[in-house]
Amino acid sequence: MIVAEEAVDRRVVAMVLRTGLAVACALMAAGLTVTLARGDRHAHVVRLFEIGGDQSAGDLLLAAGVVVLALTPTVRVLALVVLWAREGDRRFVAVALVVVAVLVAAAAIGHG
Amino acid sequence: MQLSGAELAGLAALGVFAGWLGALIGIGGGIIVVPALVLAFGYDIHLAVAVSLVCVVATSTAAGSAYVGEGLAHMRLGMALEVATTVGGIAGGLIAVAISPRTLSAVFAGVVLATAVLAWRGREADAPEVVADGGEPGPGPGAAGSPPPSGGWETPGTLAGAYVDPRSGVLVEYRAERLGLGAGVSALAGMLSGMLGVGGGFLKVPAMTVGMKVPIKVAAATSNFMIGVTAIASLLVYFARGYLRPLVAAPIALGVVAGALLGSRLAARTSPALLRRVLVAVLVFVALQMALKAFGVDIGR
Repeated sequence: MIVAEEAVDRRVVAMVLRTGLAVACALMAAGLTVTLARGDRHAHVVRLFEIGGDQSAGDLLLAAGVVVLALTPTVRVLALVVLWAREGDRRFVAVALVVVAVLVAAAAIGHG
Repeated sequence: MQLSGAELAGLAALGVFAGWLGALIGIGGGIIVVPALVLAFGYDIHLAVAVSLVCVVATSTAAGSAYVGEGLAHMRLGMALEVATTVGGIAGGLIAVAISPRTLSAVFAGVVLATAVLAWRGREADAPEVVADGGEPGPGPGAAGSPPPSGGWETPGTLAGAYVDPRSGVLVEYRAERLGLGAGVSALAGMLSGMLGVGGGFLKVPAMTVGMKVPIKVAAATSNFMIGVTAIASLLVYFARGYLRPLVAAPIALGVVAGALLGSRLAARTSPALLRRVLVAVLVFVALQMALKAFGVDIGR
């Protein structure tokens, strides 16, 4: 049943988006709390490829929240790759993989 | 960059306002967040755009999950157009970090003014909808003889789909046409999104409705579904190049999510027409202020 398969696709995608947003918000809220509790109100620049270096715990949590938020739509694309592959929709599996490749390229170009 | 307690509270309030307004009248928060950060908080426009992109991803993720659950967003159409919007998003991010803040402010002023004109004219850009014979709800693809599910569905391997209009109960079938045109406009929308920290729906929705013959409800839902992926393409460029300050982004992003939840609960009790008029007035004011800034006129804070 195509409609039943699509209902599963939509449930999975909606769950991925909701879960990712909730985790990202929790991390950012925790980061804000830790930062303010320490009395540190300096808004540091955090670079994507330098996360985990010499940042404070607050900055790490804040940056992790942004990273999880950015990863959420990417995970949604990857989820659709798997779901459409199971349904044999090879054309759109290929399209989704191109989107993933472009996003990887975006990070690489930004780094370069 | 040291933030005061009042500044942090102001950032959160800005997020709540942008999320609330966005949920009520269907605009992304970026068109509010970027000028507010530049004009009211005095931040560099590159930081404002990077922060706004975080908010755009948050808004799109929240709204996208609702639209997908309802079946209105056509995920395959969205994915096909995302190829173009992400490439455009990278280009926009690279252009934005290469040009001066004044040039970027001038482009932003133009886009805000165009958005004000579109908001004033309303949402008349609907596409002709193909209704099933007799206007009665019919069976969905692959479900011959069975009652249709609520919401909508898409035909695997194609850009076709259908949805049941919740007001009339009528089945609306459609097939997206002229993918090349849609992809071209989407690439431009992605580029503007990456340059200016806005969602770009004001370009994608008309392209889908007028150019690709997709019903307005599906186009709006699909555009929202796509915006998050488009925004992260350019957000990754800003984030990797050191334009993002998470302590500035976090209170606004949290505020946007809270404001969107609040706005969606108040939507039924608020007049969209009144809000639209207020929005137009605000956008015209913002466009003029950004244009003055672009031409070096110091307007103070």
